[in-house]
Amino acid sequence: MGNQHEDLKAIRDMMEKSTKFLSLSGLSGVSAGITAFVGAGFGYYYMSKKTLENTPYETSDLIILSLVTLGVLFISFALAVFFSRRKAHKKNQRLLNKATTYALYNMAVPFLVGGILCTLMLIRGNYEFIASITLIFYGLALVNASKYTYEEVHYLGLTEIFIGILAAVFISKGLLFWTIGFGVCHILYGLFLYKKYDK
Amino acid sequence: MSTIISKLNKAFESRIRLGIMSVLMVNESIDFISLKELLDLTDGNLASHIKALENFDFIEIKKQFIGKKPNTTYTITETGRKSFQEHLDALANLIG
Repeated sequence: MGNQHEDLKAIRDMMEKSTKFLSLSGLSGVSAGITAFVGAGFGYYYMSKKTLENTPYETSDLIILSLVTLGVLFISFALAVFFSRRKAHKKNQRLLNKATTYALYNMAVPFLVGGILCTLMLIRGNYEFIASITLIFYGLALVNASKYTYEEVHYLGLTEIFIGILAAVFISKGLLFWTIGFGVCHILYGLFLYKKYDK
Repeated sequence: MSTIISKLNKAFESRIRLGIMSVLMVNESIDFISLKELLDLTDGNLASHIKALENFDFIEIKKQFIGKKPNTTYTITETGRKSFQEHLDALANLIG
């Protein structure tokens, strides 16, 4: 009789496995968090130095800070690919399959829209909502992609949106909330995912 | 009891066929290589089970070319969906 239980479990597993990006490694989250910490640390150092020296912000400062942000993004993405690929190989699977493509596409839409919006705001000289908007659009991207991967990603997305709104309310603490959202949250959720699914 | 057991479809007795049908229930279509990887099978093994399910008229095979590469995809048929659903219900009923 135990056979039917096993059959049903095999069916459920196969349905999930074939529709979800389950190679996502928790270490991707942890490494993204650490990278964000380093980037935010640099940003904080750079800005406090400017304040101490009492020199006004120039376009070149903006470019440097934007490049650091892009660097954080790029390194996080590369590490996410690296750790997820390792996990996929361990399970004898390719990283890129239909589910991965769906997850990436659903993530990319809000993500790119947010990116374009931020770029336009920077060009127009509206800086104060940048932290809030990056957090909110990243959160929306995660919520949107979460139906194709672990459900925890959904809650991480909601958390990022919530922190993004806080960053808009306490507008002078943008960097602090940015660090909590991209640094602390990624590390905590990443560790949780790693413990639950990567072992 | 015997009526419930009789509803379990013999065509789905193998775990591999269960796997193929499960994947096709939730995916519009899937290609041979992806299916092979998901189920962790050899070419020959997968092909023989696909053939069997095709003979039952539970799945459909579509061959096409992507550029110059031949690409074979599989979809579930109406009969296949109905039979597999009945099999699932019977399994669930047995467990109670």
